[in-house]
Amino acid sequence: MKFVAVIRQVPDGESRLRIQGGKVDLSGATLILDQMDEYAVEEALRLKEKHGGEAVVVGFGPERAEEAIRTALAMGMDRGVHVVFEGFADPVAVAEALVPVLKEEAPTLVLTGGQQADWDSQALGAALAEGLGVPVVAWTTAIELEGDTAKAKHDLDEGAEWVRVRLPALFTTQQGLNEPRYPTLPGIMKAKKKEIRKVQAEVRASVELLSEEIQEKQRLGRILDGKDPVAAAEELVRLLHEEAKVI
Amino acid sequence: MVLVVLDHDGNKLRKGSLEALTRAWRLAEGLGEKVAGVLLAEEGAPLEEARKYVDILYTATLGPYTAEKWAAAVLEAAKMGAKAVVAPSSRQSRTYLGRVAYALKAGLLEDTLDSSLEGSEVHATRYAYLNRVTQRVKAALPVVLTVKTNTTPLAEPLEASAEVVPLAVPEVPTVEVLDRVAEEKKGVSLTEANVVVTGGRGMGSAEAFKGAEELAALLGGAVGATRAVVDAGWRPYGEQVGQTGKTVQPALYIALGVSGAVQHLAGMNKSKYIVAVNKDPEAPIYKHTDYGIVGDVHQVLPALIQAVKKLKD
Repeated sequence: MKFVAVIRQVPDGESRLRIQGGKVDLSGATLILDQMDEYAVEEALRLKEKHGGEAVVVGFGPERAEEAIRTALAMGMDRGVHVVFEGFADPVAVAEALVPVLKEEAPTLVLTGGQQADWDSQALGAALAEGLGVPVVAWTTAIELEGDTAKAKHDLDEGAEWVRVRLPALFTTQQGLNEPRYPTLPGIMKAKKKEIRKVQAEVRASVELLSEEIQEKQRLGRILDGKDPVAAAEELVRLLHEEAKVI
Repeated sequence: MVLVVLDHDGNKLRKGSLEALTRAWRLAEGLGEKVAGVLLAEEGAPLEEARKYVDILYTATLGPYTAEKWAAAVLEAAKMGAKAVVAPSSRQSRTYLGRVAYALKAGLLEDTLDSSLEGSEVHATRYAYLNRVTQRVKAALPVVLTVKTNTTPLAEPLEASAEVVPLAVPEVPTVEVLDRVAEEKKGVSLTEANVVVTGGRGMGSAEAFKGAEELAALLGGAVGATRAVVDAGWRPYGEQVGQTGKTVQPALYIALGVSGAVQHLAGMNKSKYIVAVNKDPEAPIYKHTDYGIVGDVHQVLPALIQAVKKLKD
């Protein structure tokens, strides 16, 4: 069996973003393995530990995204493939670039993040599934392999459901799927020697990025002292009614 | 034509569908094209209502939702010459339309705040980087466009009712739905609500949410929760606001005992007014607050309920 996690490198949510020339400039940003993709790496490792086989990390992005692939290798993935591309590529274009690589790997199961923390997109997993011609289970919170099928629990817009799917299939992650492990020191040392195959990406972007800006809404910042809760509450309700006119 | 996916709850079109219709009509007018609707149902669907908003209505009853069946049906309708596919943004639509965009080799414009036709391109605005950055993007036709809820005026019904054309949806490999775990639905839907009352860890217990429910009901709003609260089992996942939960943009967002982690802000930082009640004046939420009360939520919340009741009288 082969378990593939598709990952990307994104800015740390806690780090400040900078705009340069009308676009987000990541050159000084702290970049990490997307936390939603971490669940994918962890699940691939758990499935491999339980059922045997190989766990492969496939990363998309510029040269520096190799760091995120190394993180996944340090967590325990067996080897990596880095599909290298510098510049902006929309999720569907990324899927198109990754599909030939994934077809070559012929995985039993592919996992990727339910949402990408840079594009705020939810499309990558679904687009990959379409390109691979396999079903997608989105926002997965549990996976159990049973022969050549998987039983999985996943979130819907309202509620959740259990499904059975014939493998190969693609799963996008959701919080609760697992608790990703931290890379250990021996893991980090071993990762340095693990293979990362580089593939130059063919990208046909269908979406063009025109501009980016940080529009932080100016907040009023009117903070009342709650020592007298009744007076504070009445003043707040008055402000919401008379000033903001929202109640 | 411009194809619009009409999402519904079995009886009524969702508010998001009426917003998607407005976007679809604007594109169609610019292109000199008709608007076709696609109404997909597990069992029942609001057929007569849907007929009033489009020039032609494609329908299919497909049994339990799966991304593959929904994608196949939308693709079947899109075959009739769709230059754009427009749909209200939801987790499910963003999944099956990811498939559709790939299959059509279309530009995917996800969760857009606005959109306009510029020649043979569609320009749109959307949020990125955990809702912190506003992006302007463009794509050449054909496009697949999802519409963020609470961003667009609602469409008005037309005078005539559209012709209904059942779709022959091909069989596709998909998942088998075994068991659905439905969530108890009460009151206003979280993503459509004009007022959201969210409780965080500072609420202290599941019982304390009775107050949040009461306040939300008084204001005609919905209850939200932070990840910590959902993880503690105090509230269902369907109420979670944030990166891995729902994104909301109400007129009024009331955060009770919420510290304001980045992942939570990603789900609510575009709300028109943000109110915070937290006993820690240094809590990060106060950097994003219009009106706040520094105090014990267990004392302030009952006082707020009383003050709102007084206002209503």
